[in-house]
Amino acid sequence: MTVTVSPVYLFDVQRGEAAAAELWDAVTERQLADWEAEWLPELFNAIQRLHRAGVERRLWPQSRQWNWRRKVQVLQGVLAHPGFSVVCENVTQGMMIVDTTTKRCRIESQKGQHLVYVEFVANAPWNRPELVSPPRFRGIGSVLIRAAIALSQEEEFKGRIGLHSLPQANSFYANTCGMTDLGVDPNYEGLRYFEMTPEQAEAFIAKGNQP
Amino acid sequence: MTKRTMTLNLTDAEMRVLEELCAKKDLSKTALLRQALRLYQVVEARLEKGDKLFFEDDRTKEKAEVMML
Repeated sequence: MTVTVSPVYLFDVQRGEAAAAELWDAVTERQLADWEAEWLPELFNAIQRLHRAGVERRLWPQSRQWNWRRKVQVLQGVLAHPGFSVVCENVTQGMMIVDTTTKRCRIESQKGQHLVYVEFVANAPWNRPELVSPPRFRGIGSVLIRAAIALSQEEEFKGRIGLHSLPQANSFYANTCGMTDLGVDPNYEGLRYFEMTPEQAEAFIAKGNQP
Repeated sequence: MTKRTMTLNLTDAEMRVLEELCAKKDLSKTALLRQALRLYQVVEARLEKGDKLFFEDDRTKEKAEVMML
């Protein structure tokens, strides 16, 4: 498997400065090993803290049930489902799997056009403000959304992307990414569906390029 | 990612359909055929698993199986 690695930057919250990182255009065995050895123990500890603090189970991060190894195995070699990951300080900080083929735009002005659908995206537990305060790195979600937009542009979908958001990420997609909130999707576990138009994609990229 | 070039021979009718779809979807021929290949792979994998392919009428919820012989 050939992996293209591109330089990106995250924000190191504790040091208050930029941190050099890498965007990989794949989820490899190395990411899966990081998920098993680094992410899962941290996630279990975080959930234990929530449980002991009396936080209701329905408010625990839903992505705790995602088995990345199984997902990657099932989608291995499937052209429609490329993956991406962000690596910093030699550890995987975030992963994403997209669908370039089976989903279409729902927004009225783009209805029926192709888009890149973000199937699964997750930060390492130590980067999630709802689990760890302060988080270790910020900016992983933005790097991955930018990667989805870049793929959409490369596939001639003009930056159009779509996704169903877990409740704790609704504000990120609406406010940080500037995506259109199409409301709760009754056919998808009651999650809100967000979509980004070509214009919104350009605005998001331009915002990221500002000094 | 490295890309390789190939020559594709199509009939007039096939080329007409390709061009119509490209215009409708605002995609180049290369982009459209890459999409078609991905979709073919997805459908084939599901059929091999024993799944069936259906189209559902959004209004009536009526389902029609696509026969893949």
